[in-house]
Amino acid sequence: MGADLTILLPEIFLSLCAMAALIFAVYTTKDEVAPLLVWGTAAVFVALALWVALSGNVTRTAFGGMFVDDAFARFAKVTILLSAAAILVMSKDYMVKRDLLRFEYPVLIALAVVGMMIMVSAGDLMMLYMGLELQSLALYVVASLRRDSVKSTEAGLKYFVLGALSSGLLLYGASLTYGFAGTTSFAGIISVATDGNISVGLLFGLVFLTAGLAFKVSAAPFHMWTPDVYEGSPTPVTAFFATAPKVAAMALFARVVHDAFGGVVGDWQQILAFLAVISMFLGAIAAIGQRDIKRLMAYSSIAHMGFALVGLSAGTAQGVEAMLIYMAIYVTMNVGTFAFILTMEQDGRHITDIGGLNMLSAREPAKALAMLVLFFSLAGVPPLLGFFGKYGVLLAAVDAGLGWLAVAGAIASVIGAFYYLRIVFFMYFGDPEARGTDVAVAPVQGAFLIASAAVMVLGIINLFGVEALAASAAIALVN
Amino acid sequence: METIILFSPLIGSLICGFGWRLIGEQAGMVVATGLLFLSMLLSWIVFFTFDGVTEQIQIMRWIESGSLSTDWAIRMDRLTAIMLVVVTTVSALVHLYSFGYMAHDDHFREGETYRSRFFAYLSFFTFTMLMLVTADNLVQMFFGWEGVGVASYLLIGFYIRKASAGAAAMKAFIVNRVGDFAFLLGIFALFYLTDSINLSDVFAAAPELAETQISFLWGEWNAAEVIAVLLFMGAMGKSAQLLLHTWLPDAMEGPTPVSALIHAATMVTAGVFLVCRMSPIMEFAPYATTFVVYIGAATAFFAATVGLVQNDIKRVIAYSTCSQLGYMFVAAGVGMYSAAMFHLFTHAFFKAMLFLGAGSVIHGMHHEQDMRNYGGLRHKMPYTFWAMMIGTLAITGVGIPLTHIGFAGFLSKDAIIESAFASGTMAGGFAFWSLVIAACFTSFYSWRLMFMTFFGEPRGNKHTHEHAHESPVTMLAPLGVLALGAVFAGMIWFGSFFGHTDQVARFYGIPLAGEVHASDDRGAETTEAHGDAHDEAAGDDHGDGAKAADGHGDDHHAAFGGKPGEGAIYIGEDNTILDDAHAVSALVKASPFIAMLTGLILAYIMYIRRPDLPAKLAENQRPLYEFLLNKWYFDEIYDAVFVKPAKALGNFLWKRGDGNVIDGGINGLAMGIIPFFTRLAGRAQSGYLFHYAGAMILGIVILVTWVMVGGAG
Amino acid sequence: MDTLLQDYLPILVFLGLAIGLGLVLILAAAVVAVRNPDPEKVSAYECGFNAFDDARMKFDVRFYLVSILFIIFDLEVAFLFPWAVVFGDMSMAAFWSMMVFLAILTIGFAYEWKKGALEWE
Repeated sequence: MGADLTILLPEIFLSLCAMAALIFAVYTTKDEVAPLLVWGTAAVFVALALWVALSGNVTRTAFGGMFVDDAFARFAKVTILLSAAAILVMSKDYMVKRDLLRFEYPVLIALAVVGMMIMVSAGDLMMLYMGLELQSLALYVVASLRRDSVKSTEAGLKYFVLGALSSGLLLYGASLTYGFAGTTSFAGIISVATDGNISVGLLFGLVFLTAGLAFKVSAAPFHMWTPDVYEGSPTPVTAFFATAPKVAAMALFARVVHDAFGGVVGDWQQILAFLAVISMFLGAIAAIGQRDIKRLMAYSSIAHMGFALVGLSAGTAQGVEAMLIYMAIYVTMNVGTFAFILTMEQDGRHITDIGGLNMLSAREPAKALAMLVLFFSLAGVPPLLGFFGKYGVLLAAVDAGLGWLAVAGAIASVIGAFYYLRIVFFMYFGDPEARGTDVAVAPVQGAFLIASAAVMVLGIINLFGVEALAASAAIALVN
Repeated sequence: METIILFSPLIGSLICGFGWRLIGEQAGMVVATGLLFLSMLLSWIVFFTFDGVTEQIQIMRWIESGSLSTDWAIRMDRLTAIMLVVVTTVSALVHLYSFGYMAHDDHFREGETYRSRFFAYLSFFTFTMLMLVTADNLVQMFFGWEGVGVASYLLIGFYIRKASAGAAAMKAFIVNRVGDFAFLLGIFALFYLTDSINLSDVFAAAPELAETQISFLWGEWNAAEVIAVLLFMGAMGKSAQLLLHTWLPDAMEGPTPVSALIHAATMVTAGVFLVCRMSPIMEFAPYATTFVVYIGAATAFFAATVGLVQNDIKRVIAYSTCSQLGYMFVAAGVGMYSAAMFHLFTHAFFKAMLFLGAGSVIHGMHHEQDMRNYGGLRHKMPYTFWAMMIGTLAITGVGIPLTHIGFAGFLSKDAIIESAFASGTMAGGFAFWSLVIAACFTSFYSWRLMFMTFFGEPRGNKHTHEHAHESPVTMLAPLGVLALGAVFAGMIWFGSFFGHTDQVARFYGIPLAGEVHASDDRGAETTEAHGDAHDEAAGDDHGDGAKAADGHGDDHHAAFGGKPGEGAIYIGEDNTILDDAHAVSALVKASPFIAMLTGLILAYIMYIRRPDLPAKLAENQRPLYEFLLNKWYFDEIYDAVFVKPAKALGNFLWKRGDGNVIDGGINGLAMGIIPFFTRLAGRAQSGYLFHYAGAMILGIVILVTWVMVGGAG
Repeated sequence: MDTLLQDYLPILVFLGLAIGLGLVLILAAAVVAVRNPDPEKVSAYECGFNAFDDARMKFDVRFYLVSILFIIFDLEVAFLFPWAVVFGDMSMAAFWSMMVFLAILTIGFAYEWKKGALEWE
């Protein structure tokens, strides 16, 4: 028991922090301590990330295999914690300015992060669901953080209803799996479904589980909530949605298909490939029609999840490694991009129309250049980091014999390049008459933007060593 | 020292090309020129102190890829030493000359900076040319080969506002691509067969190659023959041999110093250098060398005929260059590589001088290039006149027959003609007659140039003639230096290039077949004949022997020996051209001189005595005159056969293939189909929850169905 | 088999009693009740709303709040009952688990109380 709890110590610590913060804030000055809480939570995230990162390279399980702490989980946790910390820090100014900053916000984010940490460490369907729901419930609430806005509440409600539906699908799949495998633990399931032999019931369970998870990563055709929720939620929340939960859900996805269904790769491979193709193309094509940058980023994230799924659908350690690297790069790019989006405003009012980027290069050349780098990287233009992410997943697919998938990915990325490059066009050759975003004084956001762009350029040297970590994480998962 | 020679032009180029904003234009030019003179000085030191032993000086590790492993190194042997001297000397003098020639240029606007760029290009060219000649492996050589192509392109098109210069630059580049492609294939073939591109390995494998069959295009061929022909085709492009010669006359669009440096003395001789360098392969490819002889002889003859009727002073010299290159190839083709190098060496001096002299005339005549508008200039430009006179005496081969006293061209050209005759084959016979006739023509057009330019009455624009002036000293000094070379280069080095076998062997560091006996005579200390063949003492010994042999006539019978790759050039065991050439009859030896005299007399009659004769002759022989004036219609034929169809194909692919099919397809896709799907996706995003939920359910239905059907199947 | 069925005998008895009691009550109402119908009385009881009306009507969100808060404690009790039944047979881990659960719930309760969610106005 004690040993089990030791393994969970980071999660326990974070939940205690969250609860303590809640009580502290509610019994003191309420929202006035919120900025402090934001900084504190971010600091705790960073400290935990260090803790998790430096806790040695061993695989430990707790509670009879329900909770797994391995290199894979640690990689995902560090990514989640750091990106959540970045988003928190970035969002403070924005929320203070618009009188949005409630002290519940950092607490909810912390609880969501606890959920995510549990998700990526899940070794059992029960644990999976626990983590997923903890995360989701917190996210439903933050989506409608701006209670007096119709769009925000609509976003929260839509997210909640569809999330409930997906949870239902997931639970249905879990119960089918339990029914046919006789156990909820991944280790038990994989011993039933081995060597490509899988009963029809278990296959049904797999499909429904996949559908539930696909909703969380917003893979088409379970993506419909994404644009509306992204658009309606307050921008910092959107930024959060686009980063940490995606990593968690993708890592959970990888864990389920490899830890529980690793014996029947052929069966889920086709499902994932299908989801990947639809997501990549839908994300690329639908984004072309968007003028709202948040919706655009929603479609962008759908397409990016498609690419990450390409890596996952390879069904190999190489594929998982490529997926992890892809997610790390994706998160970094999104942090930078949203850091900029947060600063877009006209006369103090937040704007999200891409027309606001007109001739940005003339007003803020440094930021425009950073955005150019980020959008080129998002589009996968070599020699930026985004290209290597895409290259890795496509290579993994080719090596796994899914050449057609790689070709489809390449075509989709060409189509997708259009809308990224169109924004670059706006920034550099746009209409000089049009009213663009005001020059913003935002040191924190600016720093994140520039840093993220710098990573896209400098990372090509050795990816800052992430490759080796991702490789050991992938090996820990796929053995 | 070799490294300094190699890199100082590059440094000069960089400083002059990029640093002139910092140090000033004039200073940049001075730096580039100074570095080249340094390079030249060191080259001469290397040339004189070189002991004939092949050395490899590694500069850095270069390529390490699979079995392709090579260093960037300098291969220092006699061939390299000769080329170093030629390249750096002419280049340094041309740099100096350009101070005067490029001082003012109407092609550029007032205040535009172009001189530093010009000097940077010149120095860059010199660097790449040195890369080519010092190459220790074929890829390095190819790098230099392409580098000089680029530099040549940049310099031919230096007058950026002149459309014809741009076209000429492109033509030079494109025609060279044909040859370069063959050269590349040759390199590939060598790597494929020997698994190495290092010259030493390739040479060592040459005898094997001669035994190997390789399938190429439609049949099975002898590997050595295929490779030799491919390499020679590369050389044909660079050295403007028949069929690939059309770019050279057009290259005269560039500034005259460029013509002197690149299109007379150095780059165009790269092909000759290549053939000599690859002598170990060539020696094993009898058919290929026969091909070389035919092409060389035909070029010499063809270019000489065309040169007869050209009116542009630079074009006359250009065709002359083309023709002289043919001579060199004949020499290389019959196996007399040394004679080819000899002519290359002397030709560099007198041809560079002719070009620089022509440049001086053009400069003095305000960029008038048509000889019909010259005349009587010897009084206006006495120094230029005398320089041109020496150059003409050298190129036409003036000397005392049957002795070794004469201008540079006399000795080297005669050496080639004798070698051609001595080869005794049908190709050799053809080459001999072609070359003799070409020598006559050479004499004719060279004297025609002299007579039209410097003698007679001034023609053309009076104003121009009144203002004709002698060139500044920066332009005359190089002429003086080159004049020395044009007069003495042949006499001084005749023995080394075309003397007795052992003399030549010592010069090139080739072991002698007779050395086994020599070593035996000297005692037991050197039993391994080949191992100690390069021994200093042995070399001296033979040097003495050669001197002794000089004393008692031509009955010295040393023969070349050694394995391929030993020494700068390889002479096969049954290749006795050198001795045979020395033994040809006096009539043959005198034939070039007779041809020269004939040409001189004809020119004298036609342009001094009876200046109306040429016009009449042209009128009488209209078709022939037109044929020659239009350069045998090569350009027209190429235009009809290659250029027009290629352009038509290009147009077709551009308008139909690219414009309609690809652009149309992409546009249709990008502007029709993708937006359609975008609208569709937009409509699907209705905002209604039940639509969203419906989509999810639909998705899961599809997935389940698919998995069930797929799983069942 | 028999023992299994015997174990379920109380449930059968319970079922019979429930049906019987239900029947008795309905029949009693039919027999003894005073019948004085009006529209309000005969309409179905819907927590104070009209049974047949536009579904998209506005009503006070506080109803939801109360019901949600109620559900939390409802579930807590539902969770506590089985725990209490086997309390004696359990390990300390199980005991402390429930304590932690209750503590978390208490924190939530403290939060909603302090936040004012329990005040109607």
